[in-house]
Amino acid sequence: MAKEKVVILGGGGGGAILANLLPQDRFEVTVVDKSEYHVFLPGFLWVAFKGQPKEKFRRPIKSLLKPGVNFVHDEVVGVDLNERTVHLKGGGKLGYDYVVFATGAPLDFDAVPGHRELVERFGDFYSTLENAEKLHRTLASMREGRFVIAIADPIYKCPPGPHKGTFLSYELFKRLGVADKVKVVLAVPYPHVYSSKTIADVIEPELEARGIETHTFFTVDSIDLEKHKIYSLEGEELDFTVAAVVAPHTGPQYKVEPGNVKDDSGYIKIDKYTSQVVGFDDAYAIGDCTNAPTSKSGVTAHLQAEVVAKRLQGFDARYSGRTNCPLITDGKGLFVISDYDHPPIPVRLSGLKRFLEELFVATYWSAIKYPELWDPIFEAYFEASAPEVFLRYGGW
Amino acid sequence: MGEVIKVDAKGMACPGPISALTRAYRKAKNGDIIEIEATDPGFKPDVQAWVKRTGNELLELTEEGGVIRARIKVTAKRA
Repeated sequence: MAKEKVVILGGGGGGAILANLLPQDRFEVTVVDKSEYHVFLPGFLWVAFKGQPKEKFRRPIKSLLKPGVNFVHDEVVGVDLNERTVHLKGGGKLGYDYVVFATGAPLDFDAVPGHRELVERFGDFYSTLENAEKLHRTLASMREGRFVIAIADPIYKCPPGPHKGTFLSYELFKRLGVADKVKVVLAVPYPHVYSSKTIADVIEPELEARGIETHTFFTVDSIDLEKHKIYSLEGEELDFTVAAVVAPHTGPQYKVEPGNVKDDSGYIKIDKYTSQVVGFDDAYAIGDCTNAPTSKSGVTAHLQAEVVAKRLQGFDARYSGRTNCPLITDGKGLFVISDYDHPPIPVRLSGLKRFLEELFVATYWSAIKYPELWDPIFEAYFEASAPEVFLRYGGW
Repeated sequence: MGEVIKVDAKGMACPGPISALTRAYRKAKNGDIIEIEATDPGFKPDVQAWVKRTGNELLELTEEGGVIRARIKVTAKRA
């Protein structure tokens, strides 16, 4: 029997894990990415706030794929689902039996006036390792003033990311001996300091205890770098000395035929359980590029990759919507655990969870390349920590 | 006359509805009316707090058969 051709668009967490999970005696797998490198996005925090070297969080995609998986270093410019063809910038075309969208959610720095200039000046911790490095240099040279972290759209990847940045920057300023002179400020678009009130209730006292200033219902509308002000859609303004703003995200920028598989924001419309692109049984989408009503996070991409790998092999796997977003403070951590049927469950901060998060980071590259080794462990963890288990037997 | 912007946030869990309202508000102009429907019970206090904070006008807030419906006149957007 001829092997079935699977073309995976994107060599990030979701794409690479899926490529490595598909049995090669049955599938001919090709990964396409415009970058030669896979970047571990949470690493931005470690670079920006801990000054760790950026090389630690970047690996050639080719080195993360199993031997036998093809890698095409080219940019996708179009996907025609009716013709089963992927068009590449270099002029090439790829035919497929199955296509999987895993190209993530690019950031739009033109949506908020003044944003490009802000990032140019200070760097940030959401876009690139270089910008994270720049932000570290900026913060390390701060002696006084206000460091503001704000968000330009309520839907962004890694929901606890800005909060982690807040706690870690406080830790950095403390280490530099300027915590009493630099005020850390966190502004969020939500009614509470975290999108889920349950989690907001856990971290609010922690923010307060550190003297961190918080603002709710603050969605960045524009930035004036000269006046050092951020204006919100809700009509308020914040002064800053240095600021990092999370940019609005977009769906894939390349053309997809038919156009109606993208939603109003440009995300690929999928069945939230099977990851199948609506209207097509030979197309899937995983991770940040989809419209699934769950957090845009690496865990989502990973679990959806497993579901798609199983479905391509004929099993009826479904994604529960499970999230496991780590939220770390200086010294402690928690995981925001939810699924399609349960909003985030009450959890508490602990040192063990902070350690677990460090463990996840340390094992990341191995988990990408050898999912068959790590998935049984993750599976046991996800089963033991499922929202319904916690709600019945108590959380941790 | 402004436009009427309809937002269906039914079935979305918190903070989905308020996020959908924020996104609609970004596109709205003064004089527009945002009509939003949600089923999340948290939406009622949230939308009241939002209106108070932003200074827009809440024309109507009803709850019927589990559906919370808010009509908001956009008046407070910065020119």
